[in-house]
Amino acid sequence: MKIGAGLGRGLGTGLGRRAVLAGMGGLAAAGAAGFPSIVRAQSKSLKVGVYGGYFKNSFDKHIFPDFTKATGIAVEAVAEPTGEAWLIQLEQAARARQAPADVSMMSQVAMLKGMAAELWQPLDLAKMPNAAKVKPALINKYADGRVSGIGAVSWYITLVTNTKAYPQAPESWAALWDPANKDKLGLLALVANSFLLDVTAATFFGGPKHLDTEQGQLDCFRKLAEMKGNVKLWYRDEAQFEAALKSGEIPMGQYYHDVTGLAAADGHPVRSTFPKEGGILDSGSWAVSKASKAGDLAHVFIDYMSQPQVQALLSRKVGTAPTIDRSATDLTDKEFAAVSSDLAPIIPRYDLYLSKADWLNQKWTEMIVG
Amino acid sequence: MSALVLDGLAKRYGSFTAVHGASLRIPHGQFVCLLGPSGCGKTTLMRMIAGLEEPSGGRLLIDDRDITAAPAHKRDFGMVFQSLALFPHLTAGENVAYPLRIRGVPAAERRGRAESLLELVRLPGMADRPVSRLSGGQRQRVAIARALALEPKLFLLDEPLSALDAKLREAMQIELKQLQRRLGITTIVVTHDQREAMTMADLVVVMSEGKIRQAAPPMEVYRRPADAFVADFIGMTNLLEGEVTAPGRISVPGGELALEGLPRQGRALLSVRPEEVLLHPATAPGGANRLSGTLSFVRDLGASVEFRIEVAGREIVALTRPQDRPPVEPGGAVTVEIPAGACVVLPPESGVGGGRPS
Amino acid sequence: MIRRAPRSLGEHAPILFPALMLIVFFVIPFGLMIAVSVARRIPGGFYEPDFVFANYERFLTAFFGGVLSFSLELAALVAVVAVGIGFPFTYRLARLPRAAQVRWLVFLLSILSLSEVIIGFAWSTLLSRTAGITNLLVAVGLMAEPQSLSPSFGALLAGMVYQAFPYTVLVLYPALARLDPALVEASRTLGASPAKAFFTVVVPSQRNTIVATLIMAFVFALGSYLLPQLLGRPQHWTLSVLITDQAIYQSNMPFAAAMAVFLVLVSLALVGLALLAGRKEEA
Repeated sequence: MKIGAGLGRGLGTGLGRRAVLAGMGGLAAAGAAGFPSIVRAQSKSLKVGVYGGYFKNSFDKHIFPDFTKATGIAVEAVAEPTGEAWLIQLEQAARARQAPADVSMMSQVAMLKGMAAELWQPLDLAKMPNAAKVKPALINKYADGRVSGIGAVSWYITLVTNTKAYPQAPESWAALWDPANKDKLGLLALVANSFLLDVTAATFFGGPKHLDTEQGQLDCFRKLAEMKGNVKLWYRDEAQFEAALKSGEIPMGQYYHDVTGLAAADGHPVRSTFPKEGGILDSGSWAVSKASKAGDLAHVFIDYMSQPQVQALLSRKVGTAPTIDRSATDLTDKEFAAVSSDLAPIIPRYDLYLSKADWLNQKWTEMIVG
Repeated sequence: MSALVLDGLAKRYGSFTAVHGASLRIPHGQFVCLLGPSGCGKTTLMRMIAGLEEPSGGRLLIDDRDITAAPAHKRDFGMVFQSLALFPHLTAGENVAYPLRIRGVPAAERRGRAESLLELVRLPGMADRPVSRLSGGQRQRVAIARALALEPKLFLLDEPLSALDAKLREAMQIELKQLQRRLGITTIVVTHDQREAMTMADLVVVMSEGKIRQAAPPMEVYRRPADAFVADFIGMTNLLEGEVTAPGRISVPGGELALEGLPRQGRALLSVRPEEVLLHPATAPGGANRLSGTLSFVRDLGASVEFRIEVAGREIVALTRPQDRPPVEPGGAVTVEIPAGACVVLPPESGVGGGRPS
Repeated sequence: MIRRAPRSLGEHAPILFPALMLIVFFVIPFGLMIAVSVARRIPGGFYEPDFVFANYERFLTAFFGGVLSFSLELAALVAVVAVGIGFPFTYRLARLPRAAQVRWLVFLLSILSLSEVIIGFAWSTLLSRTAGITNLLVAVGLMAEPQSLSPSFGALLAGMVYQAFPYTVLVLYPALARLDPALVEASRTLGASPAKAFFTVVVPSQRNTIVATLIMAFVFALGSYLLPQLLGRPQHWTLSVLITDQAIYQSNMPFAAAMAVFLVLVSLALVGLALLAGRKEEA
């Protein structure tokens, strides 16, 4: 069981496919091998928290050695535990003026929770010319405008289909509601990791603003209830859906764009489609604990990570979508399409998943279980 | 007409033969004991009769009807198991009524029958006792009552008294025999205890190594054992092996005996019960069939005195009444007389047991 | 053996270790869970120590009542089916030659090493349209075209029974191996057919073992939270699934704890009732 899929991509998610992707980046790793980072960086060292598992392994291999080489700052990578345990640890440590990590990769809901507790050091974009170019949607800000986090990695959840069962790719998320697709869908099981409320609002109610009111939210729940009969599997375990999609057992659903692309490249009859309403863009942000005394080094790190060539490297080796405008990178059309799309994305209403978490969860559970 | 006929009944387990073709006729109302040492096949033979073991060969007939292939539950035999096999979840009364329940006898009638059966085995008013709160003897009686509940054509008991202490066992032997006589039911008991067999049986069937050695009334088995095994297994005996020297004469260690019923020539085996052996002081006048020996050991058994005498390197056991005790002390010379009529001549080839006085 | 009540600490020593283990691994965790269940949830955060019953109130709705009763019914059904199959199976097993018994027991023990995830995946594949057993039925001409049998209630039941089966066999085995074979033989000589002997002697004489095994399988099935997700539809999600959701995905520890406490209490009550009923019948 992969836990925490909804709270942050990479908490052990989709490990199998992603590990294959990482393995393809052997060349870059070879270049960094044997770099004497420890000798040079004894004076300057930064603790970086990354989702344990796939992301930490990839970063250890493709990113951190080059960073140390370029800046002389040693990186002590910390594997973040699953769920929100890391946020709790950071909060409790901060009270004792300790920082188990200076910079951490945080899911969007965890970002918001940390902001509510003023856990994050404000960041200065002026010190980070590259980070300033990160897409506005991926920059987290306090209510007063101070920057609390910068997009670290992002990825798309799209409409995926089995090409044998669907020779024609669907064009809209509305396909999920098509009565012809009865008992054919595999959807994520939780309100806060499927983002189907956002999809419903974008597809039928003109956009995210409709979710502002409880009435609007209930509209979306009612609309969602209409397609319940089409769902064969509400999945928590990604591998279960991925296997079913490949075999055609469950020929349609929502899934990660990059992983689906890899499966297609391996010869499986699957495809990922960006519907005209946009793919769901989920992301993780870099945030600095207020207890950290390495704020300056953290700024250097975040800025380094936001460079076009590093973002391109991440797209190629880790499979994430660039957090900056693609034109700044040297990604080819094919490379870009493997991880992202030019279409406007559906950005989840993380604020709602925080402020009304229990109510939404209750309604959602009643909707699908009832 | 025979009640029960065993016609070459055999049981083989792979290459091991537990029972070689056993043939036997058991008339109505007989009390039969299958007697033999452990592993002799007596229990297997009984289990084949009960239908719990499928014979590898032979037939089983009751009142001329072939029941070799009939399943156990259609044979109408009552059986008491060595472990008694009382059902632990039922009371004494329910145990006794179990076969009636299986036959669909109404509850009220069942209860009445169970109570009268318990009275029969002298356990009145015990019907509601859980089995776990009965003594060993009481369990024994419940098992017997249960096996008799259906008025079976054949009553089988597999070492039924082996779990009881010696005194209770003796009492139960007599009681069982009286019960059997009163009911007139054909009964077969498996036992390894020859005293038990002698006490109860009309017919003793001695078995060893999967074969029936002798089937005869107890006193005949005792007096005229069919072979050395039977002679040795039933009671105590002296086995003397010798060479026929002339018609009616045989040379044994320590001397020569004059007997009837000897083969014309060759070797022969003699069985002489200790109580038949006569002792004389060495100074007594000579006579026929007398051997000289040395008294090696004397044992007072109360009702009798046991003497062990060494004759030409072999030991002969003699039993006398206390008043007939000869005036000889251990170590002294003594003359042993073996009366001609006391000897049973056995075929020489039959194996001799390792001296098994009991 | 000491027959009088133990007086000194030394005489108590033999039970100290198990008592300590019970406290460390059951009493303390359960106490913590009760403490958390009355804590106050901070929306968007964690929880603060408090003494409120809001979490229990939220649980007392028709919705959660329905989920709870489904969970109990499912667990009971799994227990009955697992013991219903496991008992005759173990009875036969205990009468096989020693070598065959060992082979079976090793095989069953190896099933225990399978995780719930693997069992779930194996059954969903086995019951799938694309690779499942219906393809075999089509191949032999019993079915027109392959069908998907999972997710469904039947698939869930099959998976959970499969998972509980080795446990039931292992719990039943010692008692059935000790069962005196003469009991059945006695019943046979007293006029019972093999089937009748099984139901009038073997089953009733093992009633306590059967009740204990049912309870074990019931409690075991009640805790299952992965198989309902892998093999069931949402209406087959058990309370354990919702507890997991709350604890791990919603970070709502107080509510998860309240549901867990409720589940433990209800199962304890049911187990107590079962034992009480058993004792009364025996008396």
